[in-house]
Amino acid sequence: MNKVMSMKEAISRYIKPGQTIFLGGMQHGEPSAAIHEIVRQRIDHLKLVSALVTTSNLLIGEGLLDVVYAAFIMQDVKRSYLLQKAQSMGRLPIFIEYSHFGISLALMAGQMGVPFLPTRSHLGSDLFKCNAGIRVFEDPFTGEKLCAVKAIVPDAGIIHVQRCDEEGNAQRWGSMGIDAEGINASRTVIITTEKIVDRDVIRRDPNRTIIPGFRVSAIVEQSWGAHPMHLAGCYSDDMWGYYAEIGSQQGYENYLNNLVYGVSDWNEYLKKRAEMKGNAYFEKLKIKPVASDPIFTGMEG
Amino acid sequence: MSGMPSLDPADQMIISAARQIRDHEAVYVGLGLPMVAALLAKYTHAPHCTIVIENGIIRTAPFPLPASTDTVGSQTFADNLGGLFYVNCLGQAGFIDLGFLGAGQIDRYGNINDTVIGDYHNPIYRFQGGGGANDVISFCKRTVVVIRQSRRRFPEKVDFITCPGYLDGKPGSREAAGLPPGTGPAAVITNLGCYEFENGEMVLKSIHTGCGITLERIKEETGWDLNIAACLNDTEPPTAEELRILHEIVDPERIWSGGKRATLKQVEG
Repeated sequence: MNKVMSMKEAISRYIKPGQTIFLGGMQHGEPSAAIHEIVRQRIDHLKLVSALVTTSNLLIGEGLLDVVYAAFIMQDVKRSYLLQKAQSMGRLPIFIEYSHFGISLALMAGQMGVPFLPTRSHLGSDLFKCNAGIRVFEDPFTGEKLCAVKAIVPDAGIIHVQRCDEEGNAQRWGSMGIDAEGINASRTVIITTEKIVDRDVIRRDPNRTIIPGFRVSAIVEQSWGAHPMHLAGCYSDDMWGYYAEIGSQQGYENYLNNLVYGVSDWNEYLKKRAEMKGNAYFEKLKIKPVASDPIFTGMEG
Repeated sequence: MSGMPSLDPADQMIISAARQIRDHEAVYVGLGLPMVAALLAKYTHAPHCTIVIENGIIRTAPFPLPASTDTVGSQTFADNLGGLFYVNCLGQAGFIDLGFLGAGQIDRYGNINDTVIGDYHNPIYRFQGGGGANDVISFCKRTVVVIRQSRRRFPEKVDFITCPGYLDGKPGSREAAGLPPGTGPAAVITNLGCYEFENGEMVLKSIHTGCGITLERIKEETGWDLNIAACLNDTEPPTAEELRILHEIVDPERIWSGGKRATLKQVEG
């Protein structure tokens, strides 16, 4: 079964209206190209679980989300054009708030296949008043108070990685945010990757694999797939440039019209992005690579 | 007045905060001013401190001041790159000495509001949320809060407890809520003065008199009848070396201390 496909096909086949979706990349290597494709296909009534995913705000502005599980996200309608736009369409999502560890635990419980996980976080706070997914309970062994975080099992998850083979053995490095638990909790998995590599590349360094191929449904090769965020070993970010660009009504609508609805895919986006920003733009985001010393695995005899 | 130093209260705040970090401590550092202070400590009196960032970054090598917690600069040459889960397990299991946070509001008992002013469903002002701040203050042995002080940001009681301080201020309130014993806010450092907690309540310990700050000004910018230490001090002013390192090495572009980020923040989606 060939899992390698275009972004358009991966998103239309595996992301469905009404699903709970996980988006990886906690300020690092987010699946921006996939997010743009979800917007372009206008897949709606989604429930989003993520942490600090910059370009996911397009999903809010375009009215595609019903629920957002988050710990830190712009929620002040008075100060945000994209929230105003969502509200004007009657599509302002419900925000369900955790502390970041809570999001991670909800996904870890999902990964583990257990209904909840205990923590000493959140206790004493008012977060319990507005989130039915956390609850105080007694330790059955000692009677001490603990916080139970209910599992979140996303219907589908998307992460962007540096390399992946054609089976979906996906390798990611740099800071990991909540990627490992988020993608492993997800029932259906889409991997977007800078590069598809030979399976031997994976097998010579298997500790780096974040999810094994048999758990993966779709693989999309997409260079610069995390732009405007950075990706370890690949490129730097322009996060503040992105926020500045989409901050105003005109800027946001220009961005959508030119770079999401006005292109058919991410390669066109990259081309148009370079035209709008000037040719030196992507050059400036290139990093000076630092090579790691190789590790060795081995064979008997 | 001749000889009055033109000392910037924002610099005093960062430098006083940096001094809270002891050498060899593991410090869980939040975004913004806490990061500036932690880097300053790393370059001055605490070169062996370990800086822990929630995205999964654990490092002892200095790095360029990041405009967000996770950047190419804050990752590269780390000692360990894991995830948010691992970092918080370290905290929850009691291995992180010091938490270093910013805050939207902080109250008399050290409770932090990063969520909402007014009614939760009909807010007067909506913050973006605490991120991982609740985890930091729940787990770390001591937590230091760095915040620009105003009456609005120093209410007697916050409308929403995002991050628990000493809750109602009664002895044992944190433990009664289930929080790990021996944790909680230890100090608050503002652009006006330095505060510590005694019996669960914030106490003014020193005033940034070198910046021209007075006790009257502090009282004006505090939303309750402030408890003042019996031996109230003048805040120890920065050394020339601390100021030089802050301005030339840590934050030459004044990303956080000078307000460049504040301008950017206004347009944040």
